[in-house]
Amino acid sequence: MLNRRPLRRMHRVYLWLAAALLLIASTSAQAIPAYARQTGNACADCHAGAYGPALTPYGMRFKLNGYTDTDSNGVKIPVSAQITGARNVPAEGKSSDELTEADVYIAGRATDNIGGYIKIATDNSGDNKFNSHLSDVDLRFVLKDVNVGKKEATFGVSVNNNPGFQDPVSDLFASTQLGPPDVTGSLLNPSSPNSLAERVIGATVYGLYDSDWYGEIGTYTSLPVSEQDRLGYAPSGDPGKLGDTGYARFAYMKDLKKQFFSAGVVALTTKRDLPRTGPPEDVTDLGYDLTYQFIGNRKNIVQASFVNILELRHYGILPASPIPGVTALTQGAVHDRTLSLTYTFLQTYSVSIAHLESTATRDVVRYEPYGIPDTTSNQFIVSWAPFGKDDSFTHLANLKLSAIWFRFSQFNGASQNVFGAPPGFPPTSARDLDAFLVMASVAF
Amino acid sequence: MSKLFSASFLPCVAAAGLYLGGALMSPFALAGDAGAGSDVFQTECSECHSVKEGRNKKGPSLFGIVGRAAGTAPNYKYSDALLQAHWVWTADKLHSYLSQPARQANPGTKMKYDGLDDPKQLDDLITYLSTIH
Repeated sequence: MLNRRPLRRMHRVYLWLAAALLLIASTSAQAIPAYARQTGNACADCHAGAYGPALTPYGMRFKLNGYTDTDSNGVKIPVSAQITGARNVPAEGKSSDELTEADVYIAGRATDNIGGYIKIATDNSGDNKFNSHLSDVDLRFVLKDVNVGKKEATFGVSVNNNPGFQDPVSDLFASTQLGPPDVTGSLLNPSSPNSLAERVIGATVYGLYDSDWYGEIGTYTSLPVSEQDRLGYAPSGDPGKLGDTGYARFAYMKDLKKQFFSAGVVALTTKRDLPRTGPPEDVTDLGYDLTYQFIGNRKNIVQASFVNILELRHYGILPASPIPGVTALTQGAVHDRTLSLTYTFLQTYSVSIAHLESTATRDVVRYEPYGIPDTTSNQFIVSWAPFGKDDSFTHLANLKLSAIWFRFSQFNGASQNVFGAPPGFPPTSARDLDAFLVMASVAF
Repeated sequence: MSKLFSASFLPCVAAAGLYLGGALMSPFALAGDAGAGSDVFQTECSECHSVKEGRNKKGPSLFGIVGRAAGTAPNYKYSDALLQAHWVWTADKLHSYLSQPARQANPGTKMKYDGLDDPKQLDDLITYLSTIH
């Protein structure tokens, strides 16, 4: 007979997961006022909604140039901060009002060729207990305006801790922090359990040729568990030991000034020991992404993106089967997809809709309770960011008020009784994992 | 003496005024639609230039650009190429400069711009810029 306690614990974990996803998607990789001071630009030059995270083509160029562009007027202090408070109203469980996150950013240029982004986040882990950790890092060395034949090129090196975060198009899951929430996800999805995000360190070499053609290759290794612990991460989320890891990214980007589109492919392959005692599993992510932006005269901006990642796995471990005569599969696949659409009016008011799906090979041993780990969810955001424009009260700081609704229509392959509660136990529907959040962020 | 002064000096002043007025109010500046030019500015220029006085971005402020001597926006570090370009940004000069790649118009400039080849948009833009004083 199934014990009630694990069910409750699992329920609580996934309720927490839904709320955490909302916060992560809403507070990460935002406009950094230190960059505005450095460049003289308004937040809205790089972020359509003046608060991020989605980048305009100009923001992409700033990132590609290693965060080094400047207004040529002296040295600016490369430090910013962000404070976020939220009212979280989950479909099940208690509502809460709390200071959810305080972030410090060390972000800006050191020289004409060296710049970076470092985020140190302090999260409220409940009951006003705060936990600081090193969040995303992207340190760059860049060579600009290099002549290759009759064309110009940019070359650079990025040292970063989240594969895909450094991407200029910034639509990959690590950049948007909006991968499909799931119980087993791809390596390129930071919403996956034991994801690589912020627990690895790697270096990539990239080049942009003739403003349009982008290529990048690199490698990553995971931090030792003790180092993850020192940086503020729970050892339980260890991504495992990685070996022979390779990352590759190619994209065609076209900036037509009033419009922008891109088409790209991305790949990540590794041998992973999880747990670290091995044996290793072979994991390969292959994906493509498409983006389109209508920018026009900046008064009405539409941004759309589609990201599709297929992960192929050759498992190293066969878990014990609870069902006589049935064994776990030795190979499997996971498929993560997101489709998002954002409309921004006057660089101030935004409406955003995202559809997130994760599906995987059916495996009754690996994926309790139904052998299907599929999830389907949607995110809806309405937001207002009054500052950060050339003609606003200030272009060097901003405020963002958002209402966010995260909705699950399928979890563990089911819409009802998603944790497989036996008769007599209260079932949990996918909709019970929904959450609504009202959030206020200030960045300066 | 005063008659002589009046007779010889006033026409010079008038001529200078006509010249300066011509520089600031060229046919290009008068031909466009400033409202449409504001949209062109947003699309073509606003990421690197502000029209606010004293507000430099990657490029210098364009406040009062029409009629300003090249390389003279306060607190902006110009390229040597533009510092040595001893011209005034008249409407005609802006029209010529912006209709071609910046590095062709002023070799050695920091400005990265491929040029605006739509004459109507160019007229609108310069008309708009001429209103920013």
